[in-house]
Amino acid sequence: MINADVLIIGAGPAGLQAAIHAARKKVSVVLVGKPENSALAGAHIENYLGVPGKADGSEILRIGTGQAEGFGCRMLKENVTSAARKDGGFEIVTETDEAVRAKAVILATGISRVKLGVPGEKELFGRGVSYCAACDGNFYKGKVVAIIGGETEAAASAELMTAYASKVYWVAKDIAASENMVRKASAAGAELVRAAAKAIKGDDRVNSLELDNGTVLELDGVFIELGAKSSADLAMDLDVMPEMDDTIKVDASCFTGIEGVYACGDVTGKPWQMAKAVGQGAVAGTAAAEWVRANVGK
Amino acid sequence: MVIELNDSNFDSFIKENDSVLVDFWAPWCGPCRRMAPLLTEIAEEVDGCAKVAKVNVDENPALANRYEVAAIPTLILFKGGQASAPMIGMMPKNSILDLMASRGLIPCSKAGVTK
Repeated sequence: MINADVLIIGAGPAGLQAAIHAARKKVSVVLVGKPENSALAGAHIENYLGVPGKADGSEILRIGTGQAEGFGCRMLKENVTSAARKDGGFEIVTETDEAVRAKAVILATGISRVKLGVPGEKELFGRGVSYCAACDGNFYKGKVVAIIGGETEAAASAELMTAYASKVYWVAKDIAASENMVRKASAAGAELVRAAAKAIKGDDRVNSLELDNGTVLELDGVFIELGAKSSADLAMDLDVMPEMDDTIKVDASCFTGIEGVYACGDVTGKPWQMAKAVGQGAVAGTAAAEWVRANVGK
Repeated sequence: MVIELNDSNFDSFIKENDSVLVDFWAPWCGPCRRMAPLLTEIAEEVDGCAKVAKVNVDENPALANRYEVAAIPTLILFKGGQASAPMIGMMPKNSILDLMASRGLIPCSKAGVTK
């Protein structure tokens, strides 16, 4: 169990800047997230003040991570798998089962890609294609399903679906989830298939999944679970109700309306720009730290 | 008010009410929980014109089966007892009202619904 004054979820520019500003306010700060999952990784920035040319996003993240750590922020380069309000504060658990307890939380999760973009996905949505194993798992009792995705949400869903389905394929070309989660899914009975989904097939309902290695899996349902636990799900676990477009509404101090919970960066809506993420990160980090010092004592 | 329907009262309710919006949902479903306040608002706005009801698919699997609900939230509109095609996934309030209007559930002469 790790204790912190301020917990930041998300290691993109908003989360890192929030970490820097919170840490400089002399509160203890833990940041949970993988910088390589930020939209900034792999991007090039040419519209950020004082940084001419095309700056390498991954390099900005690498330097930013070092700066945050330099100011005393503890980094856990993992995904969050669950979050809850607890004992007047907050508690999250990571993919390696590390628990972090905090007095304030900053959601800097960015926006997640949920669509796979393969033929059949859109056409068969709701007729065998689902984006929420937790919602729809119950409809697949005794049936054969596949979970698509290599990150933590896919691993958690693969494990969950073994409680309902007669057979669970976990289809992933690359695995980014922790060994701990992969082991749990396998132990529960999910069969890992190292391939990418090529097409979802069926007439009225899903009946098969075609993979890029030529294999065709006969099945009844396909759960598309890309990335980490979604920002909307995390927010709801903390009693913050997201907007219909999955964004989180905040006021000028990045406060969500739920005591101790702040949000910054792409998750608060457009513009999806580093400049806005950094600006909001500074505001959220400062506000969360000041709230902890004023209300919880330091 | 959103009315809770189940296996025993569903058929009679649909028979007695000409225009009904039914939300198939479950408590553990995040998107369903996010739709809930919108449906409460819609129920108030269309009061006197149409009813808004919900069916817990976990407690009423037979109803979910009958309407081939395989993902939640799913909305189905009933007009004169006839069910529309299921509408799957989260939807903004205005889209739901538009769909209700397109199926003739609103407006009606009884209420001051303008949509």
